[in-house]
Formats: sequence, structure tokens, C-alpha cells
Amino acid sequence: MNCKICSALFQEFLEKSLCEELISEVDRHLKKCGQCRSSMHTYSLTIVLSSRADPPCCVPAEKMDELKKILMERFCTKKTA
Amino acid sequence: MGKKREIQSDALVVRDLKKGDAKAMEEIVRRYSNKVYNLAYHLTRDSAAAEEIMQDVFLTVIAKIATLTNEAYFSTWLYRVTTNAAYGFLRKEKKFSEQTPVEDLDGEHHASVDWSELPDDVLLSEESREVLKRSIDSLPEAMRTVVIMKDMEGLKNEEIAEALGISVPAVKSRLHRGRLMLRDQLSDYFSKYTKPSGEDA
Repeated sequence: MNCKICSALFQEFLEKSLCEELISEVDRHLKKCGQCRSSMHTYSLTIVLSSRADPPCCVPAEKMDELKKILMERFCTKKTA
Repeated sequence: MGKKREIQSDALVVRDLKKGDAKAMEEIVRRYSNKVYNLAYHLTRDSAAAEEIMQDVFLTVIAKIATLTNEAYFSTWLYRVTTNAAYGFLRKEKKFSEQTPVEDLDGEHHASVDWSELPDDVLLSEESREVLKRSIDSLPEAMRTVVIMKDMEGLKNEEIAEALGISVPAVKSRLHRGRLMLRDQLSDYFSKYTKPSGEDA
């Protein structure tokens, strides 16, 4: 396995969706290639940091109340139409 | 009723919704309002627009739910409606860059620096988060949407593919290339805290 192929398999490797044979090949390559190891670490951390860059938040309570009111009105209008 | 709803699948709730059950509508809003809001917010980076999109999305649910033939696909249908509404907003605001031919882009295979051992206070600093948010925003649209849906909203590849009307391999390809581009931007930013690869060797 060369570096290009190893890099192309990062995603599936981290998602554990590769077959055992390919996992072993990637593992073997990572053991002997420091650059790919670094690449894998930074690729993996990029995913983690992306998930924390802008954490999910809740809809503001007043907007939620307004939304429910509008939706229920529309819902009831549609039912009676 | 609340407890019963809690364990009901989306498909059953949607079936009740189609029959005109107001409680089912409330349940759908309870389950999905934050998800729809966050997806819309991350795609538009505009909280007022996200609120407006969320409202439009649920009004669309009321108007069009009868056209959804397979109730099991409700969530992906909802994400598709949300994504389209967010694109509509971005187009109106002229912030939508047309799809970059992602197949022509080739990612770097190696990061120029290894910043994975940097301390958490550097990796998770406010500044690094801002750099990453800006980097995500500057990705080609096709990649940005997939990265947001997968890495920020936590959707599955299959859900993203269904919502965007593309194949799972296309989702994976866009995601991989988008992540490589983000990784490169982060490498540039973190390089001031680290030494180039091999310097210690």
C-alpha cells in the first residue's frame, strides 16, 4: 500500500467500515510511515474539532412558543378546510 | 400519551399526523425543531434566517405531508426540505456559490505539520474554533453541506445521500475532500504552534 491509497482510506478506516484485509494493510502502512500516521491523526482531529466548532443550540423559547401557535393555527385551519 | 409518543417510531407519528392528529404535529415539532434549526443555522450562519426557515419547514410539513408516501423516510425528507430552504435563502442573499466540480479537486495526502499533539487549550481555543468555522464556510458548497450534515449535525451517510439526492459514495467523496481541505487550513493555522514534520527526527 502506498501513501495515496492509505490517505484515500482514512474515512473508512476511522468509520471501521473496511474489510479486515484492508484494515491490516492500512495498519501495516501506518506503522512504517510517520507522515501517514501524522496525517491520520490530524484528519481524525479535524473531524472532532469540526463537531465542536459550533455546538448545536436550542431554539429560543419565545420563538418555540410562537412557532407552536402558528403551526397549530395552520394545522387546525387545514383540518377544517 | 407523552410516554406512548416517546417510544413511537417517526413512521407511526407521521401516520397519525397524516390523519390530522394535532398531538402528532406537536410531537414532530418536539423531536425535530432543534435539529431543523441547527441545520438551517449552520448552513446559513444566520439565526434569524434559521428561525424563519424552521417555521417554513414545518408549514411545509403541514401542507405536504400527504405527499410523503413512505413515512419511514420522514426525517430525510425533512432534512431535504430544510437544506433546500437554506439554499433558497443563500441564493436570495447571493451567498450561494454554485457547486464546484468536486471530482476535479485533489486533496493533499499529507499534512505539512503534525499538530495532533498540541494541548487542548490550543486545539479548542476560541480562535481555532473561529478559524475552523471560517474554513467550513469557505468550502465549496457541495462539500460544505456534507461536512455540516455529517460532522456538525451527526447525520448518517445514507441520510445525507437521501436528503441531497446523491449517492452514498458521492457523500463520502465530498466529505473526505472537504475534511482534507479543512485539515490543510487547520495545519496552516496551527503551524505557528508546532515544528514542521521531521524536524525532530
